[in-house]
Amino acid sequence: MVSWSGRRKVLTILAFIGPTILGILALNIYPIIYNVYISFTNRNQYHPNPDCSIFLTSIIEPGCWPMFRSDAGLGTPYVLQDPLLENYDSLIGKLFTGDGVLAMLRLVLVIVPLIVAGQVNKRLERQLDRQVPSYLVWLGGIALTVLLVWVLDAGGAMKTLQDGSAFFIVIFRTLLFVAITVPINYIFGLILALILNGEHIKGRTFFRSVMIIPWAASTMFIIMSLIWQFFFREQGTINQIIRAFGGEGTAWLANGNYAMAAIILVNLWFSFPFCFNIILGSLQSIPVDQYEAADVDGATYWQQLVNITLPLLRPSVLPAIVLSAIGAGGFQMFGTVWAMTAGGPSQGAGVPGATELVMVYAYKQVFQFNAYAKAGAFAVIIFAFLFIATLYSLRVTRITKGAYE
Amino acid sequence: MSRRPRPLVMVLQYVFLGFMTLFALYPIWFVIIASGRVGSRLYTLNLLGMFIPTEWSFENYQLMLSGTPYPFLTWMRNSLFVAGLTTVACLLIATSAAFAFSRFRFYGREFGLVLLLAIQAFPGVLSLVPVAQLLTAFQLYASHWGLILAYTVGNLVFTTWLMKGYFDTIPVEIEEAAMIDGCGPIQSFLLVGLPMAKPALAVTALLAFMGGWGEYVFASVLIPAPDARRTLMVGMYSLANTQSIPWGYFAAGAVMTIIPVILVYTYFQKYLVGGLTLGGVKG
Repeated sequence: MVSWSGRRKVLTILAFIGPTILGILALNIYPIIYNVYISFTNRNQYHPNPDCSIFLTSIIEPGCWPMFRSDAGLGTPYVLQDPLLENYDSLIGKLFTGDGVLAMLRLVLVIVPLIVAGQVNKRLERQLDRQVPSYLVWLGGIALTVLLVWVLDAGGAMKTLQDGSAFFIVIFRTLLFVAITVPINYIFGLILALILNGEHIKGRTFFRSVMIIPWAASTMFIIMSLIWQFFFREQGTINQIIRAFGGEGTAWLANGNYAMAAIILVNLWFSFPFCFNIILGSLQSIPVDQYEAADVDGATYWQQLVNITLPLLRPSVLPAIVLSAIGAGGFQMFGTVWAMTAGGPSQGAGVPGATELVMVYAYKQVFQFNAYAKAGAFAVIIFAFLFIATLYSLRVTRITKGAYE
Repeated sequence: MSRRPRPLVMVLQYVFLGFMTLFALYPIWFVIIASGRVGSRLYTLNLLGMFIPTEWSFENYQLMLSGTPYPFLTWMRNSLFVAGLTTVACLLIATSAAFAFSRFRFYGREFGLVLLLAIQAFPGVLSLVPVAQLLTAFQLYASHWGLILAYTVGNLVFTTWLMKGYFDTIPVEIEEAAMIDGCGPIQSFLLVGLPMAKPALAVTALLAFMGGWGEYVFASVLIPAPDARRTLMVGMYSLANTQSIPWGYFAAGAVMTIIPVILVYTYFQKYLVGGLTLGGVKG
C-alpha cells in the first residue's frame, strides 16, 4: 500500500478503530475489571452499596464518581473480604482439599485409556500396513476405562466432589451437556448435508429452504423455547400422542433427566440448520475429481466418506464446532434453558436445579440471590476458562490472517 | 459420487429427510394452528387439533393488534427502534474497524483482533450488573438508548470479524490503484471498499438486526418497566409467565413475530450461508 506514516497514520487508524475501542473499553473491559474487584469483596444482599471512602471502590463504582455522585441507599456498604479469597474458597475450596484432589485424580485416571487409544490409533494410522484395526484399539480403550471406573470407584469420586460444591456440579453438568449436544447437532447436520449434497435426491432446493426455518426462528429463541416447552407439558402434544396410543405420559419437565433430554432436543432444533449449512457449504467445495479417482480405485461409499469427505471437511467445520461448543449453543447456553425450565426442577434447597447450567446458575446467583461477589468470583473462573478456550479455537482456525499474509 | 445409491438407501434417505422436515416445521405449524383458536388455551384435548386447524378465527390477532390488554404493537415498535438503531450503529462502527484491521498494517493489529475475541468470551449475563450501573450513572438505564448502546457493543466484535473476513477476500489491488490515483485511506474506504462489500454488509446488517430483535436477557434487565417500554421478547415472555397463560394471544403474537423473520431469512438464504462461511464466525 502507498506509504503514509507518522501522525497522520496514527490519526487515521484511530478514526477507524477508535469508536470500537471506546465501546469495548466501556462495556466489555470495564465489566471484567469490575467483576474481578467485586469478587474480592462481600457484596451481597446484605451489603449492596459501595463505600466511596475506600479508594478502589471509589474508582470502580460509577456511583462514586464525582459527576454522578448520588446518596448511597440504605444498608451497610460492602468491604473487602477478610481472607481476600473467601469467595473463591467457598466456590472451589472444597475441591482442593485432600479428598477432593484425590477424587479428581481418580476421575482423570479413568479417561486416560481413551486418550491413549486415540494416540495409538494416530500412530498406527501412519503405518502403511496396519495389523490392528482401529475399532479393536478403541474397544480395548473402552474396556480398560470401564474396568477403571469399577476399580477406582468413579461414582464414589463423583459423589465426593458433588457433595463438596455446587460449582463442581454445575460445571460438570455443563461440560456433559456440551459433550452430548454439540456432537448430536453436528451429526444430524452432517447426515442431512451428505444426503442433500447427492444428486439423486429430488426437491433439494425445497429441503434446503425448509432447513432455514428453524435457523430464522432460533433468533427469537425465547418465544420458540416457550412453544417447545408447551409440547412437553402434561397436556402437551407429546403426552397427547402417547395417550392416543394408550400410554400414560409424564410431566416431562418435572423430571431432571427428561428435562435435560428435552433441552438437548430443543437445542438440536435450534442448531442443526446452522451445522447443516456450514457442512453443506464445505462439502460443495470438495473437488469432484477426488471422488472420481476413488471410484476408479474401487473405493466404497464408506471408504470415500472416511478417507476423503471427513478429512476435507475438518478445516472448515472444526472451527465452527469449537465456536458452537463455547458459545451460546453450548457452554454458554442460557435462553433455551431459562424459557423451558428456568434451571429446574429443583433438587432441594441450596443445590442447583437439575438443568441449571453455568449461565443459568450465574444469573440466579445475581438476580435471585443478589450474591454479586460470589457471582463475580464465578465469572472470573468461567472467564479464565473461556478465554483459554477462545485462544485455542483461534489456534485451530487461524482466522487472524490479514489480507497481506 | 455419481453412482446411484441402492433403492433401499434412497428410501432411507427420503425417510430421514421427511422426518427432519417434520421436525423442522412442526413447531412453527403448531403456533400457526394455535393462533387461530379462540380461548386462552393453546391446546384442545383432541389430538387432531394439534396437527390440522380444526377451527379458525382472527380474534386473537385482533386482540393483539388492538393494544389492550397487551401493547403488542408498542413492543414491536420498541424492538424495531432498538434493533434498527443497533444495526446502523454496528455497521458504522464495525465496518470501519474491520476495514482498518484488514487493510492497514499497524502495531498490535493481530494482537488487537485476538484480544477483541478473547474479551468477548466474558459471558454477557455476568457483565449485566456493571453495565447496568454504568448506564444508571449516565442516566441511560431503563432507556432504549442504553439498550442500543449495550447491543451495539455486544454485536461489535462479531460484526467486525465478519466484515474483516469479507474485506480479506477482496483483492487489495483495486484500492491500491485508487490510492495511486490520489485517494486517501478514508476515500478508498468509502469509495472503493464499501461498495464492494455490499453483500457482506447486507448479511452483517441482518445478523446485527436479529441480534437486537431477539435478545432477551439484557432487555429484561436494562428495561425493567413499564410495560409500554418493553421490547417484544420481554413482552412475549411476560405474557407466557402469567398465572393462566393466554396461549391463543401468545401464539398470535408469536406468529406475527416469527413469520416475517422466516420470510427474510428465506429470501437472504444464499447470502447468509455464504457470509457465515466466509467470516468463519458463528452468528
